[in-house]
Amino acid sequence: MKRSTGEKFGQAVITVLLLLLCLTVLYPFVYMLAISLNTGSDAAKGGVYLWPRQFTLSNFHIVLGNKVIQHSYLITILRTIIGTVSGLLVTLLAAFALSYRQMPARRVLLTIVLITMLFSGGLIPFYIQLFNLSLINTFWVYILPSAFSAWNMFVMLKFIQGMPEALIESAEMDGAKPPRVLFSIIIPLSKPMLAALGLFTGVMHWNDWFAGAFFVSDQNLIPVQTFLQQLLSAQDISVVMGSNNSVEALARGSQNLAQVTLMSVKMATVMVSAIPILCVYPFLQRFFVKGVLIGSVKG
Amino acid sequence: MSAILKYKWQYIMIMPAVVLLLLFSYVPMAGIQVAFKDFHIGYTIWNSPWTGFENFAFLQDSQFWLVVKNTVYIALLKFVFGFPAPIILALMINEVSHGGYKRFVQSVSYLPHFFSWIVVAYILQSLLTLDNGLVNQLIVSLGGDPVFFLGSTEWFRPMIVASGLWKEVGWNTILYLAAITSIDPQLYEAAKVEGAGRLAQIRHITFPGILPTISIVLILSMPSLIAVGMDQIYPLMNPANQPVADVLDTYILRSGLQQGYFGSATAVGLLSSVISLLLVLSTNQISRRINGEGLW
Repeated sequence: MKRSTGEKFGQAVITVLLLLLCLTVLYPFVYMLAISLNTGSDAAKGGVYLWPRQFTLSNFHIVLGNKVIQHSYLITILRTIIGTVSGLLVTLLAAFALSYRQMPARRVLLTIVLITMLFSGGLIPFYIQLFNLSLINTFWVYILPSAFSAWNMFVMLKFIQGMPEALIESAEMDGAKPPRVLFSIIIPLSKPMLAALGLFTGVMHWNDWFAGAFFVSDQNLIPVQTFLQQLLSAQDISVVMGSNNSVEALARGSQNLAQVTLMSVKMATVMVSAIPILCVYPFLQRFFVKGVLIGSVKG
Repeated sequence: MSAILKYKWQYIMIMPAVVLLLLFSYVPMAGIQVAFKDFHIGYTIWNSPWTGFENFAFLQDSQFWLVVKNTVYIALLKFVFGFPAPIILALMINEVSHGGYKRFVQSVSYLPHFFSWIVVAYILQSLLTLDNGLVNQLIVSLGGDPVFFLGSTEWFRPMIVASGLWKEVGWNTILYLAAITSIDPQLYEAAKVEGAGRLAQIRHITFPGILPTISIVLILSMPSLIAVGMDQIYPLMNPANQPVADVLDTYILRSGLQQGYFGSATAVGLLSSVISLLLVLSTNQISRRINGEGLW
């Protein structure tokens, strides 16, 4: 089938437009990386677009030497791991239980879950409840409220109900109790679904800044994203310079410190938070896409 | 009783979820009564005195109606640009015949979805800041005056719409691209035999093929219409752009958590919860009428 010249032209236009889209997505990261690897005072003169003009690692030294940032990284990693594992476990247990269609009160329990997807008490009553439970200013405020996800439960339920029932029945014939059915049949068969939902939950924890900003005031408990949020509106670099291992070393070593600006430090900090995602993304991308498609089946 | 005992494992397994829902969803729902009470920290939601509709005084506050207007405005803008964009992008990606390039475009366009709105705010700051942001460097080098994009009431909405598109347009193509792949290839063969060009094929095969998906996405996006994205707006809001940036969620946050007007902030929250509930229920009705079945 020969293509007309008009169609070839259209093809070319689309190719170029999509290339532009890709550049729009990727360029900001190139730009921020270039600024973060350039001495701040030099970058402030403008003209750094693609690669650093006065290369330096001092911005990254300062960011990585800051104790609050180091600690916030630890909090982010901890909450991502604990939050993802507990979230998947609680939600999967519930989905598995509700996959037994004969269970008494099943409809009532499903309705209890469904209602929470339609209506909520809103932020303030939620906050008051966190306060009453003494969760404000604790690590568990990141974990407990999001440990059960109604949306993920319906995705899991749909997935489990799609499994061949004969498999479960034959296991029950052999005397397997539900926990055994769950761990030796359901979980091995659910691996792709669990991987996808686990990754979504993990990304949610990694990117959440809200809980750290409003439910926690102790700087020792904030995650990286909340630190970034505080730094976003900072007027000077004291936030990053205070309690810093690297500042003294840098000051002794050279005159580098004077060349560090608020912008260069900000760019280094945001790159430090973005680089892990940029690194794992190419390997995990296919799981994410699978996850969207599993979730799109009506729950 | 024996039936319940027979399912004792199932009840044990669902227990953690029920407890969490009770604590973090149902107790806060009961907490809505704060909207009708004079609540202060130190009181409980149960023993604070009733005040009737006193907390709803904000309904006569012009600030509140400005916030409502901002919310609706941003919601509509985001919908008008954000809804068709992924459809167009998916159709474009589908036209790419080189498989490797196609996968590359998909991978790159999904990427921003995985960054937080805070990172997006940093990107905007680095590109748009007044002294030596990239865009202002460009404007100055072309002989113009630098523009204070980040603190401007005119530029706030375009900034929200553009950064929203940047972050989510690629990701939102996934469902459409999946729908396109499930279209029967024989339809295209037949169309080619008939002499239909690419444009005609898109119009008569691809687009009708993804129409059911479009209608589902449309229905599903309705309920979240008024949730305009606190996550996105809050990091970009400042005193200079607040007159256009302040939306219901940021208003609740400020008056409730920062200024301590728990009662009236809860009342605003109740109003917005009720509106989104109405949106869900009416969409469900519409969906039932059109598709023959509801969302649940």
